[in-house]
Amino acid sequence: MIEEPYRWVEAVANRREYIEAQLAGGSPIAAVGYREGILFLTLGRTRQKLFEIYDRVAMGAIGHPGDIERLRMAAIELASTEGFTRSAADVSLRRLAYYSLSPVLKAAFEQIYGAPYLARMLFAEIGERPEDDLFLRVDYDGAIATNGATFSETQQDFGVLSGTRVSTELMESYLKQEHKSGATLQEALDVTLNAWIVGHMALGEDGARELPGNEAIAAERKNQLTTIGVEATILERNATVAIRYRPLTEEEIRPLN
Amino acid sequence: MESPIVALAESPADGVIDFAGLLRRKGLLAAAPGFPSSAGNFGAPAQTQATTILAFKFQGGVLVAGDRRATAGNTVVYDRADKVLEIDRHSIMAIAGVPATAWEMARVLEHSFQFFRRTQLQEMSVDGKVRALSKLLRDNFGFVMQGVGMVVPIFATHDPGADPAARLYFYDAMGANFEVTDYAATGSGSPAVRGILYYENNWGKKPLLKLNEDEAVTVALRALDTAAESDTATGGVDRNARIFPVIKIVSSKGITTLADKQIAALFKKGVA
Repeated sequence: MIEEPYRWVEAVANRREYIEAQLAGGSPIAAVGYREGILFLTLGRTRQKLFEIYDRVAMGAIGHPGDIERLRMAAIELASTEGFTRSAADVSLRRLAYYSLSPVLKAAFEQIYGAPYLARMLFAEIGERPEDDLFLRVDYDGAIATNGATFSETQQDFGVLSGTRVSTELMESYLKQEHKSGATLQEALDVTLNAWIVGHMALGEDGARELPGNEAIAAERKNQLTTIGVEATILERNATVAIRYRPLTEEEIRPLN
Repeated sequence: MESPIVALAESPADGVIDFAGLLRRKGLLAAAPGFPSSAGNFGAPAQTQATTILAFKFQGGVLVAGDRRATAGNTVVYDRADKVLEIDRHSIMAIAGVPATAWEMARVLEHSFQFFRRTQLQEMSVDGKVRALSKLLRDNFGFVMQGVGMVVPIFATHDPGADPAARLYFYDAMGANFEVTDYAATGSGSPAVRGILYYENNWGKKPLLKLNEDEAVTVALRALDTAAESDTATGGVDRNARIFPVIKIVSSKGITTLADKQIAALFKKGVA
Protein backbone atom coordinates (compact mmCIF):
# COMPACT_ATOMS: atom_id res chain seq x y z
CA MET A 1 0.00 0.00 0.00
CA ILE A 2 2.97 2.25 0.47
CA GLU A 3 4.02 2.19 -3.20
CA GLU A 4 1.69 5.04 -4.01
CA PRO A 5 2.80 8.43 -2.68
CA TYR A 6 -0.75 9.35 -1.82
CA ARG A 7 -1.05 6.33 0.48
CA TRP A 8 2.11 7.35 2.25
CA VAL A 9 0.83 10.85 2.84
CA GLU A 10 -2.41 9.38 4.11
CA ALA A 11 -0.58 6.98 6.41
CA VAL A 12 1.52 9.79 7.86
CA ALA A 13 -1.60 11.92 8.34
CA ASN A 14 -3.34 9.06 10.15
CA ARG A 15 -0.34 8.60 12.33
CA ARG A 16 -0.28 12.33 13.12
CA GLU A 17 -3.94 12.20 14.08
CA TYR A 18 -3.31 9.19 16.30
CA ILE A 19 -0.36 10.80 18.09
CA GLU A 20 -2.18 14.12 18.53
CA ALA A 21 -5.07 12.22 20.14
CA GLN A 22 -2.66 10.46 22.47
CA LEU A 23 -0.99 13.74 23.51
CA ALA A 24 -4.20 15.77 23.75
CA GLY A 25 -4.70 15.14 27.47
CA GLY A 26 -1.15 16.04 28.46
CA SER A 27 -0.74 18.45 31.35
CA PRO A 28 0.74 21.78 30.12
CA ILE A 29 4.21 22.97 31.04
CA ALA A 30 5.25 26.63 31.15
CA ALA A 31 8.76 28.08 31.34
CA VAL A 32 9.62 31.76 31.75
CA GLY A 33 12.72 33.83 32.21
CA TYR A 34 12.77 35.83 35.47
CA ARG A 35 15.26 38.12 37.17
CA GLU A 36 17.69 35.42 38.32
CA GLY A 37 17.11 32.65 35.81
CA ILE A 38 14.51 30.45 34.16
CA LEU A 39 11.52 28.86 35.91
CA PHE A 40 9.79 25.66 34.76
CA LEU A 41 6.37 24.85 36.19
CA THR A 42 3.68 22.22 35.77
CA LEU A 43 1.01 20.51 37.84
CA GLY A 44 0.59 16.79 38.21
CA ARG A 45 -0.44 13.94 40.39
CA THR A 46 2.43 11.50 40.41
CA ARG A 47 4.87 11.32 37.56
CA GLN A 48 7.87 13.64 37.44
CA LYS A 49 7.70 15.76 34.29
CA LEU A 50 10.63 18.18 34.71
CA PHE A 51 14.17 16.89 34.32
CA GLU A 52 17.81 17.94 34.47
CA ILE A 53 19.67 17.28 31.20
CA TYR A 54 22.97 19.03 31.82
CA ASP A 55 24.50 21.88 33.84
CA ARG A 56 22.52 24.59 32.04
CA VAL A 57 19.78 22.60 30.28
CA ALA A 58 16.40 21.48 31.62
CA MET A 59 13.58 19.54 29.97
CA GLY A 60 9.88 19.09 30.49
CA ALA A 61 7.89 16.52 28.53
CA ILE A 62 4.46 15.03 27.97
CA GLY A 63 3.64 11.78 26.23
CA HIS A 64 4.29 8.11 26.79
CA PRO A 65 6.63 7.55 29.75
CA GLY A 66 8.65 4.94 27.84
CA ASP A 67 9.30 7.27 24.92
CA ILE A 68 10.05 10.24 27.16
CA GLU A 69 12.53 8.06 28.99
CA ARG A 70 14.36 7.05 25.78
CA LEU A 71 14.59 10.64 24.57
CA ARG A 72 15.64 11.93 27.98
CA MET A 73 18.38 9.27 28.24
CA ALA A 74 19.59 10.07 24.73
CA ALA A 75 19.74 13.79 25.52
CA ILE A 76 21.65 13.18 28.76
CA GLU A 77 24.07 10.76 27.09
CA LEU A 78 24.80 13.18 24.26
CA ALA A 79 25.24 16.17 26.56
CA SER A 80 27.38 14.22 29.03
CA THR A 81 29.76 12.77 26.45
CA GLU A 82 30.10 16.20 24.85
CA GLY A 83 30.74 17.82 28.22
CA PHE A 84 33.27 15.13 29.08
CA THR A 85 35.25 15.02 25.84
CA ARG A 86 35.22 18.78 25.23
CA SER A 87 33.88 21.00 27.99
CA ALA A 88 30.62 22.00 29.64
CA ALA A 89 30.72 25.20 27.59
CA ASP A 90 30.52 23.14 24.39
CA VAL A 91 27.23 21.52 25.37
CA SER A 92 24.63 23.42 23.39
CA LEU A 93 20.87 22.96 23.43
CA ARG A 94 20.61 24.30 19.89
CA ARG A 95 22.97 21.64 18.56
CA LEU A 96 21.37 18.93 20.68
CA ALA A 97 17.89 19.69 19.37
CA TYR A 98 18.60 20.55 15.73
CA TYR A 99 21.36 18.07 14.91
CA SER A 100 20.58 15.15 17.17
CA LEU A 101 16.98 14.95 18.35
CA SER A 102 15.07 16.43 15.44
CA PRO A 103 16.40 14.17 12.63
CA VAL A 104 15.84 11.06 14.73
CA LEU A 105 12.29 12.06 15.67
CA LYS A 106 11.45 12.86 12.07
CA ALA A 107 12.85 9.57 10.81
CA ALA A 108 10.92 7.57 13.42
CA PHE A 109 7.74 9.49 12.66
CA GLU A 110 7.87 8.96 8.90
CA GLN A 111 8.98 5.35 8.84
CA ILE A 112 5.44 4.16 9.06
CA TYR A 113 6.22 0.51 9.78
CA GLY A 114 8.11 1.48 12.92
CA ALA A 115 6.87 3.03 16.13
CA PRO A 116 7.02 6.82 16.41
CA TYR A 117 7.98 8.63 19.59
CA LEU A 118 4.88 9.62 21.52
CA ALA A 119 6.40 12.66 23.15
CA ARG A 120 6.49 16.43 23.06
CA MET A 121 9.33 18.20 24.83
CA LEU A 122 10.11 21.67 26.07
CA PHE A 123 13.77 22.51 26.64
CA ALA A 124 15.41 25.59 28.09
CA GLU A 125 19.04 26.60 28.30
CA ILE A 126 20.23 29.37 30.59
CA GLY A 127 22.70 31.81 29.03
CA GLU A 128 25.16 34.30 30.46
CA ARG A 129 22.65 37.10 29.81
CA PRO A 130 18.84 36.96 29.52
CA GLU A 131 19.15 37.60 25.76
CA ASP A 132 21.09 34.35 25.46
CA ASP A 133 18.37 32.23 27.07
CA LEU A 134 16.97 29.64 24.72
CA PHE A 135 13.55 27.99 24.84
CA LEU A 136 12.86 25.13 22.41
CA ARG A 137 9.78 22.98 21.87
CA VAL A 138 10.58 19.75 20.05
CA ASP A 139 7.64 17.78 18.69
CA TYR A 140 7.13 14.08 17.94
CA ASP A 141 7.75 14.72 14.20
CA GLY A 142 10.99 16.61 14.80
CA ALA A 143 9.47 20.05 14.33
CA ILE A 144 11.11 22.71 16.49
CA ALA A 145 9.59 25.93 17.77
CA THR A 146 11.90 28.46 19.43
CA ASN A 147 11.46 31.64 21.43
CA GLY A 148 12.10 33.70 18.34
CA ALA A 149 14.82 36.23 17.61
CA THR A 150 14.54 35.40 13.91
CA PHE A 151 14.11 38.03 11.21
CA SER A 152 10.36 38.08 11.52
CA GLU A 153 9.71 37.81 15.24
CA THR A 154 11.01 39.45 18.35
CA GLN A 155 12.47 37.32 21.06
CA GLN A 156 10.25 36.07 23.86
CA ASP A 157 11.55 35.03 27.24
CA PHE A 158 9.16 32.12 27.68
CA GLY A 159 8.26 28.76 26.19
CA VAL A 160 5.19 26.58 26.62
CA LEU A 161 4.06 23.06 25.91
CA SER A 162 0.59 21.56 25.92
CA GLY A 163 -1.53 18.69 24.61
CA THR A 164 -3.32 20.66 21.90
CA ARG A 165 -2.52 23.53 19.57
CA VAL A 166 -5.32 25.72 20.93
CA SER A 167 -4.11 25.26 24.47
CA THR A 168 -0.50 26.04 23.47
CA GLU A 169 -1.51 29.20 21.64
CA LEU A 170 -3.68 30.46 24.49
CA MET A 171 -0.84 29.93 26.97
CA GLU A 172 1.51 31.84 24.67
CA SER A 173 -0.85 34.77 24.30
CA TYR A 174 -1.46 34.82 28.05
CA LEU A 175 2.28 34.97 28.77
CA LYS A 176 2.81 37.55 26.03
CA GLN A 177 0.29 39.75 27.83
CA GLU A 178 1.05 39.08 31.47
CA HIS A 179 4.69 38.07 31.81
CA LYS A 180 7.19 40.87 32.39
CA SER A 181 10.88 40.29 31.88
CA GLY A 182 12.77 41.04 35.06
CA ALA A 183 9.98 39.55 37.21
CA THR A 184 10.87 38.22 40.65
CA LEU A 185 10.66 34.48 41.33
CA GLN A 186 7.36 34.98 43.15
CA GLU A 187 5.87 36.90 40.22
CA ALA A 188 7.20 34.30 37.79
CA LEU A 189 5.69 31.46 39.84
CA ASP A 190 2.38 33.26 39.85
CA VAL A 191 2.28 33.96 36.12
CA THR A 192 3.43 30.46 35.08
CA LEU A 193 0.81 28.89 37.31
CA ASN A 194 -1.86 31.07 35.69
CA ALA A 195 -0.52 30.16 32.25
CA TRP A 196 -0.82 26.49 33.22
CA ILE A 197 -4.43 27.10 34.29
CA VAL A 198 -5.16 28.82 30.95
CA GLY A 199 -3.63 25.88 29.08
CA HIS A 200 -5.51 23.38 31.18
CA MET A 201 -8.86 25.14 30.67
CA ALA A 202 -8.34 24.98 26.90
CA LEU A 203 -7.87 21.19 26.83
CA GLY A 204 -10.68 18.85 25.82
CA GLU A 205 -13.60 19.03 23.39
CA ASP A 206 -15.48 21.70 25.32
CA GLY A 207 -12.42 23.60 26.52
CA ALA A 208 -11.95 27.35 26.29
CA ARG A 209 -11.23 28.72 22.83
CA GLU A 210 -10.20 32.20 23.90
CA LEU A 211 -8.42 33.63 26.92
CA PRO A 212 -10.54 33.26 30.07
CA GLY A 213 -10.97 36.29 32.32
CA ASN A 214 -8.86 36.79 35.44
CA GLU A 215 -11.69 35.77 37.74
CA ALA A 216 -12.26 32.51 35.87
CA ILE A 217 -8.53 31.80 36.04
CA ALA A 218 -8.41 32.51 39.79
CA ALA A 219 -11.40 30.25 40.47
CA GLU A 220 -9.98 27.38 38.41
CA ARG A 221 -6.60 27.85 40.06
CA LYS A 222 -8.09 27.48 43.52
CA ASN A 223 -9.98 24.43 42.37
CA GLN A 224 -6.91 22.72 40.81
CA LEU A 225 -4.56 23.38 43.71
CA THR A 226 -6.82 21.48 46.10
CA THR A 227 -6.43 18.28 44.10
CA ILE A 228 -3.02 18.26 42.39
CA GLY A 229 0.48 19.38 43.22
CA VAL A 230 2.87 21.92 41.71
CA GLU A 231 6.20 20.77 40.31
CA ALA A 232 8.68 23.56 39.70
CA THR A 233 12.37 23.78 38.93
CA ILE A 234 14.80 26.58 38.11
CA LEU A 235 17.97 27.21 36.13
CA GLU A 236 19.94 29.82 38.07
CA ARG A 237 21.91 32.37 36.07
CA ASN A 238 24.47 33.51 38.60
CA ALA A 239 24.99 30.39 40.65
CA THR A 240 28.56 29.97 41.89
CA VAL A 241 28.48 26.30 40.92
CA ALA A 242 28.54 24.78 37.44
CA ILE A 243 25.21 23.00 37.85
CA ARG A 244 22.48 25.61 37.47
CA TYR A 245 19.52 23.21 37.67
CA ARG A 246 17.69 23.07 40.99
CA PRO A 247 14.18 21.81 41.81
CA LEU A 248 12.28 24.28 44.01
CA THR A 249 11.58 23.15 47.55
CA GLU A 250 8.16 22.83 49.19
CA GLU A 251 8.76 26.09 51.07
CA GLU A 252 9.51 27.98 47.88
CA ILE A 253 6.36 26.72 46.16
CA ARG A 254 4.02 27.06 49.13
CA PRO A 255 3.15 30.78 48.70
CA LEU A 256 1.16 29.78 45.61
CA ASN A 257 -1.45 27.96 47.68
CA MET B 1 27.31 14.85 19.68
CA GLU B 2 28.66 12.86 16.77
CA SER B 3 26.49 9.79 16.64
CA PRO B 4 22.99 10.52 17.89
CA ILE B 5 21.35 7.69 15.98
CA VAL B 6 23.36 5.12 17.85
CA ALA B 7 22.28 6.49 21.20
CA LEU B 8 18.63 6.75 20.27
CA ALA B 9 18.31 3.40 18.55
CA GLU B 10 18.96 1.51 21.75
CA SER B 11 16.19 0.24 23.94
CA PRO B 12 16.14 1.50 27.51
CA ALA B 13 16.76 -2.08 28.61
CA ASP B 14 20.44 -1.74 27.75
CA GLY B 15 20.58 1.85 28.94
CA VAL B 16 23.90 2.60 30.55
CA ILE B 17 23.87 3.69 34.17
CA ASP B 18 27.64 3.52 34.41
CA PHE B 19 29.16 6.58 32.74
CA ALA B 20 32.59 4.98 32.40
CA GLY B 21 30.88 2.11 30.56
CA LEU B 22 29.21 4.60 28.21
CA LEU B 23 32.57 6.23 27.46
CA ARG B 24 34.16 2.86 26.76
CA ARG B 25 31.33 1.91 24.41
CA LYS B 26 31.90 5.14 22.49
CA GLY B 27 35.66 4.62 22.50
CA LEU B 28 36.31 7.72 24.60
CA LEU B 29 38.13 6.03 27.48
CA ALA B 30 41.46 4.26 27.06
CA ALA B 31 41.29 0.60 28.03
CA ALA B 32 44.16 -0.49 30.25
CA PRO B 33 46.51 -3.02 28.69
CA GLY B 34 46.45 -6.59 29.95
CA PHE B 35 48.85 -7.64 32.68
CA PRO B 36 52.39 -8.12 31.35
CA SER B 37 53.67 -11.67 31.22
CA SER B 38 56.90 -10.86 33.06
CA ALA B 39 56.57 -8.75 36.15
CA GLY B 40 58.21 -5.34 36.21
CA ASN B 41 59.10 -2.96 33.44
CA PHE B 42 62.33 -1.07 33.69
CA GLY B 43 61.90 0.81 30.43
CA ALA B 44 59.12 3.16 31.57
CA PRO B 45 60.16 6.82 31.17
CA ALA B 46 60.26 9.17 34.15
CA GLN B 47 56.65 10.29 34.57
CA THR B 48 55.29 13.47 35.96
CA GLN B 49 54.29 12.80 39.56
CA ALA B 50 52.23 14.77 42.02
CA THR B 51 53.16 14.35 45.65
CA THR B 52 52.00 14.60 49.23
CA ILE B 53 48.40 15.11 50.06
CA LEU B 54 46.75 14.92 53.45
CA ALA B 55 43.29 15.05 54.94
CA PHE B 56 41.91 14.97 58.44
CA LYS B 57 38.63 15.49 60.22
CA PHE B 58 38.27 18.51 62.48
CA GLN B 59 35.42 20.44 64.11
CA GLY B 60 34.22 21.98 60.85
CA GLY B 61 34.27 18.85 58.66
CA VAL B 62 37.17 17.40 56.69
CA LEU B 63 40.21 19.44 55.70
CA VAL B 64 42.02 18.31 52.55
CA ALA B 65 45.37 19.82 51.62
CA GLY B 66 48.01 19.24 48.97
CA ASP B 67 51.30 20.87 48.08
CA ARG B 68 51.69 22.28 44.58
CA ARG B 69 54.74 20.50 43.17
CA ALA B 70 54.78 18.08 40.26
CA THR B 71 58.01 16.23 39.46
CA ALA B 72 59.39 13.86 36.83
CA GLY B 73 62.35 11.90 38.09
CA ASN B 74 64.44 14.51 39.87
CA THR B 75 63.12 17.44 37.81
CA VAL B 76 60.54 19.85 39.14
CA VAL B 77 57.98 20.08 36.33
CA TYR B 78 55.44 22.44 37.78
CA ASP B 79 55.02 24.42 40.98
CA ARG B 80 51.34 25.29 40.77
CA ALA B 81 49.73 21.87 40.37
CA ASP B 82 46.30 21.46 41.89
CA LYS B 83 46.02 18.04 43.49
CA VAL B 84 42.86 18.69 45.49
CA LEU B 85 39.97 18.32 43.07
CA GLU B 86 36.27 18.95 43.61
CA ILE B 87 34.16 16.10 42.29
CA ASP B 88 30.72 17.33 43.30
CA ARG B 89 29.13 19.71 45.81
CA HIS B 90 30.21 17.54 48.75
CA SER B 91 33.10 15.38 47.52
CA ILE B 92 36.80 15.96 47.08
CA MET B 93 39.37 13.69 45.50
CA ALA B 94 43.00 14.48 46.31
CA ILE B 95 45.73 12.80 44.30
CA ALA B 96 49.27 11.62 44.66
CA GLY B 97 50.75 9.95 41.61
CA VAL B 98 50.59 10.59 37.89
CA PRO B 99 48.45 13.67 37.16
CA ALA B 100 47.63 12.58 33.60
CA THR B 101 45.76 9.56 34.95
CA ALA B 102 44.50 11.25 38.09
CA TRP B 103 42.92 14.24 36.38
CA GLU B 104 41.27 11.94 33.86
CA MET B 105 39.96 9.81 36.73
CA ALA B 106 38.62 12.90 38.48
CA ARG B 107 36.85 13.93 35.28
CA VAL B 108 35.31 10.51 34.77
CA LEU B 109 34.27 10.41 38.41
CA GLU B 110 32.71 13.88 38.35
CA HIS B 111 30.71 13.05 35.25
CA SER B 112 29.76 9.61 36.60
CA PHE B 113 28.13 11.06 39.71
CA GLN B 114 26.22 13.65 37.71
CA PHE B 115 25.27 11.18 35.01
CA PHE B 116 23.88 8.85 37.67
CA ARG B 117 21.86 11.62 39.32
CA ARG B 118 20.49 12.90 36.02
CA THR B 119 19.52 9.54 34.58
CA GLN B 120 18.39 7.78 37.76
CA LEU B 121 16.81 10.87 39.37
CA GLN B 122 18.51 10.22 42.71
CA GLU B 123 21.89 11.06 44.23
CA MET B 124 24.46 8.25 44.24
CA SER B 125 25.08 6.92 47.75
CA VAL B 126 28.40 7.62 49.46
CA ASP B 127 29.25 3.93 49.30
CA GLY B 128 28.46 3.97 45.60
CA LYS B 129 30.78 6.93 45.06
CA VAL B 130 33.59 5.35 47.06
CA ARG B 131 33.18 2.16 45.06
CA ALA B 132 33.17 4.05 41.73
CA LEU B 133 36.67 5.38 42.45
CA SER B 134 37.79 1.87 43.45
CA LYS B 135 36.59 0.59 40.11
CA LEU B 136 38.53 3.26 38.18
CA LEU B 137 41.72 2.42 40.08
CA ARG B 138 41.18 -1.28 39.51
CA ASP B 139 40.64 -0.69 35.77
CA ASN B 140 43.88 1.31 35.68
CA PHE B 141 45.93 -1.45 37.31
CA GLY B 142 47.04 -2.84 33.94
CA PHE B 143 48.84 0.46 33.34
CA VAL B 144 50.33 0.44 36.83
CA MET B 145 51.79 -3.05 36.20
CA GLN B 146 53.42 -1.66 33.03
CA GLY B 147 55.05 0.95 35.22
CA VAL B 148 52.95 3.93 34.16
CA GLY B 149 50.05 5.90 35.56
CA MET B 150 50.02 4.96 39.24
CA VAL B 151 47.55 7.00 41.29
CA VAL B 152 46.99 6.83 45.05
CA PRO B 153 44.04 9.08 45.98
CA ILE B 154 42.25 10.26 49.07
CA PHE B 155 38.49 10.73 48.94
CA ALA B 156 36.62 13.00 51.37
CA THR B 157 32.90 13.59 51.45
CA HIS B 158 29.97 14.67 53.59
CA ASP B 159 27.32 12.05 54.28
CA PRO B 160 24.31 13.54 56.10
CA GLY B 161 23.06 10.04 56.89
CA ALA B 162 26.20 9.07 58.81
CA ASP B 163 27.51 9.99 62.25
CA PRO B 164 29.91 11.75 62.07
CA ALA B 165 28.80 13.13 58.71
CA ALA B 166 32.40 13.65 57.57
CA ARG B 167 33.73 10.56 55.76
CA LEU B 168 37.33 10.04 54.74
CA TYR B 169 38.97 7.26 52.67
CA PHE B 170 42.34 6.48 51.24
CA TYR B 171 43.08 3.99 48.48
CA ASP B 172 45.91 1.83 47.27
CA ALA B 173 46.90 1.60 43.62
CA MET B 174 44.85 -1.57 43.11
CA GLY B 175 41.65 0.09 44.25
CA ALA B 176 41.23 -1.11 47.82
CA ASN B 177 39.49 1.59 49.85
CA PHE B 178 40.17 2.15 53.54
CA GLU B 179 37.92 4.34 55.63
CA VAL B 180 39.76 6.21 58.36
CA THR B 181 38.43 7.77 61.55
CA ASP B 182 40.92 10.62 61.90
CA TYR B 183 43.43 11.31 59.15
CA ALA B 184 45.00 10.06 55.92
CA ALA B 185 48.10 11.00 53.90
CA THR B 186 49.57 9.60 50.70
CA GLY B 187 52.42 10.46 48.35
CA SER B 188 56.19 10.59 48.76
CA GLY B 189 56.10 13.04 51.65
CA SER B 190 53.44 11.13 53.54
CA PRO B 191 55.67 9.34 56.12
CA ALA B 192 56.57 12.69 57.67
CA VAL B 193 52.99 13.94 57.45
CA ARG B 194 51.62 10.79 59.06
CA GLY B 195 54.14 11.17 61.89
CA ILE B 196 53.00 14.72 62.55
CA LEU B 197 49.30 13.95 62.37
CA TYR B 198 49.72 10.95 64.67
CA TYR B 199 51.66 13.07 67.14
CA GLU B 200 49.14 15.95 67.03
CA ASN B 201 46.19 13.60 67.40
CA ASN B 202 47.60 11.81 70.46
CA TRP B 203 49.82 14.30 72.24
CA GLY B 204 49.00 17.67 70.70
CA LYS B 205 47.07 20.35 72.62
CA LYS B 206 43.86 18.71 71.49
CA PRO B 207 42.93 15.82 69.20
CA LEU B 208 42.48 16.71 65.49
CA LEU B 209 38.69 16.30 65.73
CA LYS B 210 38.53 19.13 68.30
CA LEU B 211 40.55 21.67 66.29
CA ASN B 212 38.86 24.79 64.95
CA GLU B 213 39.47 25.93 61.38
CA ASP B 214 42.51 28.14 62.04
CA GLU B 215 44.19 25.50 64.18
CA ALA B 216 43.46 22.82 61.58
CA VAL B 217 44.96 24.90 58.76
CA THR B 218 48.06 25.58 60.87
CA VAL B 219 48.56 21.85 61.50
CA ALA B 220 48.15 21.13 57.77
CA LEU B 221 50.69 23.80 56.82
CA ARG B 222 53.19 22.57 59.42
CA ALA B 223 52.79 19.00 58.18
CA LEU B 224 53.38 19.93 54.53
CA ASP B 225 56.33 22.13 55.46
CA THR B 226 57.86 19.24 57.38
CA ALA B 227 57.33 16.89 54.43
CA ALA B 228 59.03 19.37 52.10
CA GLU B 229 61.99 19.60 54.49
CA SER B 230 63.13 16.03 53.73
CA ASP B 231 61.29 15.10 50.52
CA THR B 232 62.51 16.91 47.41
CA ALA B 233 59.35 16.01 45.53
CA THR B 234 57.15 17.95 47.97
CA GLY B 235 56.80 21.68 47.39
CA GLY B 236 55.58 22.71 50.82
CA VAL B 237 55.29 26.47 50.96
CA ASP B 238 57.31 28.52 48.48
CA ARG B 239 58.23 31.50 50.64
CA ASN B 240 59.79 33.52 47.81
CA ALA B 241 57.16 33.05 45.13
CA ARG B 242 54.40 32.99 47.74
CA ILE B 243 52.91 29.74 46.47
CA PHE B 244 50.75 28.17 49.13
CA PRO B 245 49.24 24.67 49.34
CA VAL B 246 45.69 24.17 48.16
CA ILE B 247 43.41 23.70 51.16
CA LYS B 248 39.73 22.81 50.87
CA ILE B 249 37.15 22.04 53.53
CA VAL B 250 34.15 19.72 53.11
CA SER B 251 31.24 20.40 55.43
CA SER B 252 27.45 20.24 55.42
CA LYS B 253 27.47 23.55 53.53
CA GLY B 254 29.51 22.10 50.69
CA ILE B 255 33.12 22.74 49.76
CA THR B 256 35.06 25.86 50.73
CA THR B 257 38.37 26.70 49.12
CA LEU B 258 40.59 28.73 51.42
CA ALA B 259 41.85 31.99 49.95
CA ASP B 260 45.64 32.39 49.61
CA LYS B 261 45.41 35.49 51.80
CA GLN B 262 43.89 33.52 54.68
CA ILE B 263 46.49 30.77 54.33
CA ALA B 264 49.29 33.34 54.13
CA ALA B 265 48.15 34.99 57.36
CA LEU B 266 47.97 31.68 59.23
CA PHE B 267 51.32 30.64 57.78
CA LYS B 268 52.94 33.81 59.04
CA LYS B 269 51.39 33.41 62.46
CA GLY B 270 51.84 29.70 63.05
CA VAL B 271 54.55 28.33 60.80
CA ALA B 272 57.12 30.76 59.42
